[in-house]
This record gives sequence, C-alpha cells and structure tokens, in this order.
Amino acid sequence: MIKIKKSEFSTFIKNLQKKYSIFAPVTDGKATAFKKIKSAKDINNKVLNTKRSPKEIFFPQSEVLFQYTKEGMEIPKRDEKPFAIWGMRNCDTKSLLLLDKVFGEAHQMPKKDMYKDPYWKEKYDNCLVFNLACNEPLSTCFCNWFDGGPFDKTGSDIFVVETDENYIFEAVSDKGKKFLKEFKITENASDKEIKKIEKLKETAESHFSEKQDISSLFSKTKEIWDEPIWDEIAAKCINCGACAFVCPTCHCFDVSDEGKGNKGKRIRLWDSCMFAIFTKEASGHNPRSQSTQRVRQRVMHKYNYFMDNYGEHLCTGCGRCVVVCPVNLDIRGVIKKILDYEKN
Amino acid sequence: MIQNLRTEVKKLLKDKKVDIVLGWEKGSLPLSSTPLIIHKEEDVDRLIFDETCRNNLTTYLTKDKRKLGKIYDKIGIVVKGCDARSIVLYAVEKQIKRENVVIIGVPCNGVLEKKKILQKTDGKEILESKIDGKNVHLKGRDFDMTISLNEVLCDSCLTCRYPDAPVHDIFIGKPRKEVDVKDEFKNVIDFEKQSSEERWEYIKEEYSKCIRCYACRNVCPACYCNECFVDQNDPQWIGKTPEVTDSIIFHLIRNLHVAGRCVDCGACVSACPVDLDLRIMNKKVEKEIKERFDYTAGLDINEKPAMASYCEDEKQDFIMG
Repeated sequence: MIKIKKSEFSTFIKNLQKKYSIFAPVTDGKATAFKKIKSAKDINNKVLNTKRSPKEIFFPQSEVLFQYTKEGMEIPKRDEKPFAIWGMRNCDTKSLLLLDKVFGEAHQMPKKDMYKDPYWKEKYDNCLVFNLACNEPLSTCFCNWFDGGPFDKTGSDIFVVETDENYIFEAVSDKGKKFLKEFKITENASDKEIKKIEKLKETAESHFSEKQDISSLFSKTKEIWDEPIWDEIAAKCINCGACAFVCPTCHCFDVSDEGKGNKGKRIRLWDSCMFAIFTKEASGHNPRSQSTQRVRQRVMHKYNYFMDNYGEHLCTGCGRCVVVCPVNLDIRGVIKKILDYEKN
Repeated sequence: MIQNLRTEVKKLLKDKKVDIVLGWEKGSLPLSSTPLIIHKEEDVDRLIFDETCRNNLTTYLTKDKRKLGKIYDKIGIVVKGCDARSIVLYAVEKQIKRENVVIIGVPCNGVLEKKKILQKTDGKEILESKIDGKNVHLKGRDFDMTISLNEVLCDSCLTCRYPDAPVHDIFIGKPRKEVDVKDEFKNVIDFEKQSSEERWEYIKEEYSKCIRCYACRNVCPACYCNECFVDQNDPQWIGKTPEVTDSIIFHLIRNLHVAGRCVDCGACVSACPVDLDLRIMNKKVEKEIKERFDYTAGLDINEKPAMASYCEDEKQDFIMG
C-alpha cells in the first residue's frame, strides 16, 4: 500500500487532471452530486452519500442518442479524454458492476451475443474509479445486507482510505495497478498506518446495526407475488420517482423524440416504474395501472428478477431512497416485512 | 392529547362509523413520521401526533382510488389545519362526498422541516432527537445541540393563519384559534422588489435543479388529475428531459393549475429531494388571488372557488390596462 499526504492532495489532483477529467462529490448550493471539478477545492470529501448517485456520469438522466436532419443523422461527439471519479463509495462502485451487467460487457450474461450499449461502454471503459472507504457510515446505510461494507473494494480500480494525515492507496484492478505505476506514487504506507486502517475498518463496521439475513429474499419474493401483502406495502407510496432517480442501480429508461422543423434528436431518459405511465401502451392499455402493481414491480426487479437474470440483487444498500422518500416508505422495512410474511 | 385521539379513533372503528382511519406513526428515521393506515383497533396504539407529522394525508383520498388497497366507503382522517383545508377543497370540487369523510382535527403547532434542521447540523446526520416543549435536541456522532423549534419549522407553518381544521367532525384538544400573522406574504413582497432579470435568474437557477421525479405533484393534495399534462404523449405538451426550459414549464403550469386551490401545506417543499424553492411561486399566486378576489382556499365548503366563479366588480386591470 502506498500513500499521499493530505497536504499534497491538491497537487495530486492537479497532476491527475493532466491526463484525466475528474468527477468528484461537489456541494453545489444545497445539494451534493458528482460533478466535473476544476480543482481540489471543489471536492467535498466529507459527504458520505451524495444526494444524486454517480450513475448519472455513465447513464445521464437524458442523453442524446443521435441527431437528425432531412439530410441524415449523426451521433453527437463526446469528450474522449479519459476520466477519473474520485470519492465513490463502495455502494456506488458495486452499482457500476450491476449496471455493467445490463449495458456493458456482462460477466454472467444469459446469452453471449447480447447487445452491448455503446453509450455506456465508451464511458465505463474510459474511466478510473477511486473508491473512498467510509470511515463513518450513515445510519441509513445497509450495504452489509448485500455483502458490501464500508471498506469493501468491489468495483473499484483504486481503493483509498483517509487517515488523519494521509490517503492510503491500494490498487484493486489492473487498471488501478497501471495507474499507480504510471503516476509514480511510490511512498509506502508504514506498518503502523496499515494497522490503523484495520482499526478504522472495525470502527466503521461497528456503526452498523445488525445485519439482516436476506438469503431467502429471492425465494420469498417469488412465493408471495400474488399475495395481498403488496397492497399493504404499497398503500402509502405516492408513486413519485424520487427513489428511482436517486438510486445508483435503477436503470429503466424511456426514449423520446424531440423534433422541430426538419431537424430533431432522439433522447434516452430515465424512467421509473413508479410512474403511472411507465408501462402504458399505445393502445391505452396499461398492464400496471394500479399503484400496488408498480410498487411490486420495483421490489421484484431489485430482489427477484435481477437475481434471476444476473445472479445478484439490484440493490447495494446505499440508503438514498430511505433518505428521500417523502412518506418514509423505508425499503429496509419492506424487505423485513417480506421476509417475515407467512403465506396462509 | 394523544390518548384522547386514540380513544376517539378506536371508538370510530368499533362503532363501524369508518372503515379505516388515516393518521401518522413514528417513522424509521430520527424526527420522521410515516403515514399509518389503521384497519383494526389494535393498530391504533401506534398512532402519534407531534411536530414530525409532516405529510398531508388527504392526498390519499383522491389519487388512484385503489391506492389504499381497495375503495372504502367511509374514511376517518386525522388532520392539521392545512390538511383539513385540502378536504374542503375536495368537497368544493366534488372529489369527495363530505359525509363520507370523518374529519378528526388536532391542534397543530407547526411541523418540522428536516431540510432546515440539516442546515443547522451542517449536513451532519442526526442519530438521536427529542422534541421538548419549544426546543428540539439533536445528537449526532460529534455534536449535541438544542435549537428552538421556531427556527426549524416549515416556512408554511411560520406564516400559518389557520392551524385548526376549519371544518371537522371531531376536534381533539384545545384549538389554537386563528393566528394573527402579519407578514404572511413577506417572501413574495421581497421577491417582487427584485428586478425582472433577477427574478428570472432565480427561477431559472432553482428549477434547473429539478430532476422531474414529480414528488411535488404526487404529494400535492390539489394535484389529482387522472392524467397530468406532463404524462400525455399524444400530443406531447412538454419535453421529458430535465432541461430547465421544460422543468420551468412544468412548475409554472402546476403553479397556475393550483391557483386559488393551494392551501400552502408545504408538502411539495418537504417532498422535493433536491430542495427546490417550490413555495415562492405558489405563494405569489396565492397573494394575487387574495388581492383580486379576496379568496382563500379551503376555508368554506359553500364558497365558490375563485377560479370557477365570476363577479362583475372584479378587478379587470389585466384586460383593460
């Protein structure tokens, strides 16, 4: 493990910027989100979970797929400079792996020759992920339910721990190893500092409440699909899209054409299964016209369908939805309710 | 107070005067509550009422009629002043039959705005909290503070004139009576003093944060259209992206659509996940309606709404110049 001194952080960022555009948590007015930064001063390393998840860097809320005129069409040119994301947390780095199963080169795809999304891929392949350990997880964090953790490294290129004076770096992926070599960051962390990391990890983990065993969640959700419990779960949901739009793993999208005169563009934009028109068909028929059906869809997609298709739950336990839900419909409570449900 | 409330609610259920009762129970986060849908008497003991009871539960009376599991004939509902005014709005607009709703008024001292509290803690997470008279104690990992409730109440509550339900079947506790508020429209008056460029800049900056999750619309008691104009595809009225021009159209049309109907319950402000200032424009419209038509929404079940009636002596300067 190697280190950089905190006092040298801004120089490190400056050097990094020579090759990479950098995204990092930025507090802009009242909200925090991952944004492109100008200098180290813009970075807020204190924030645990940004209000908006970093998925929007790879999968923006709206993205022009192509523009067209009468003469023809073109795909918008993109910034090809590689970019780095500083300060992602484990719940977010893990969510990139989950999204990559859908959009990118999947590890456990059902079929080998499935479509790979070029818009996602060119960004994902072009990116270097710094995963900052969570020294002080929030009370809404429940990554431990999904075998993540404040010091878990899954999904990152370089794992970073913040100590009192240093940032300790550990290369996780080949990309990360190459980077550390290339940037000649070579000052080794002392044994004392490495021990300190263990201690920080223990403290961080002690902040979590008891881990919920979710091993039966997949089978249970399948079992109760047509049970009345869903009415109970969905009753207070107001069907806004706040949960889905702050979620790092929700990835449903809509496609919209915006045309004027003889030119226009085709846009891909976030959608949410909470919305009444989510599955409304052109005929006017809507297979999920009821709120209950839509809430069930979201829960089933996260804890059943995705597992069926890709072998993992589509949730990393970041807790953002817990924080923003206007009616405090806590997904942790929903999971517990499902696990406790006894079918008559 | 809470015991009396629970006793009354139990009685309503026992006597089969209502099928269900809507109220609040303790939420999963510090200083939070969550809607409680009471079907059985034994659930009544979970019912609470305090400064955390933020949600305007009347929104469940109109939207997606099967939302509560099935359609109920008679619903009891615990209400603050603003919530009760939403029910008046529904009755005036023929969305509910007044006799099908049992309105249970409770004395409201205002509800907490979590966003203001987080400003006080500098964004740091609150782990423990206690409301104690006029103060609220907050504890986090490295702070311990006591702040006055008044500093962290919703803006709507700070300028609330009608804390008691103007229409109710049962009232628990002592009503607060009408509050003499002097600077109800202070935020609007200050806003009006700015130049049009400054106001436009402010609106643009605020609405550029919008992520179009529609939480504001969906918690709003006055927003109950079966199909919102933003959801229509054919014709499509506005773009679906979070481009600021489209977001502004969404919000301003919503403003005008709730003109003379908004009861300033503040539900939209609290629900917004990206902390937009959604109140300024609603309050501006409320002020216009008050000045032009001397109308305040949700007070009188027999009064015709401002936007659905016409009097010859109304101010017409917008036409005549």
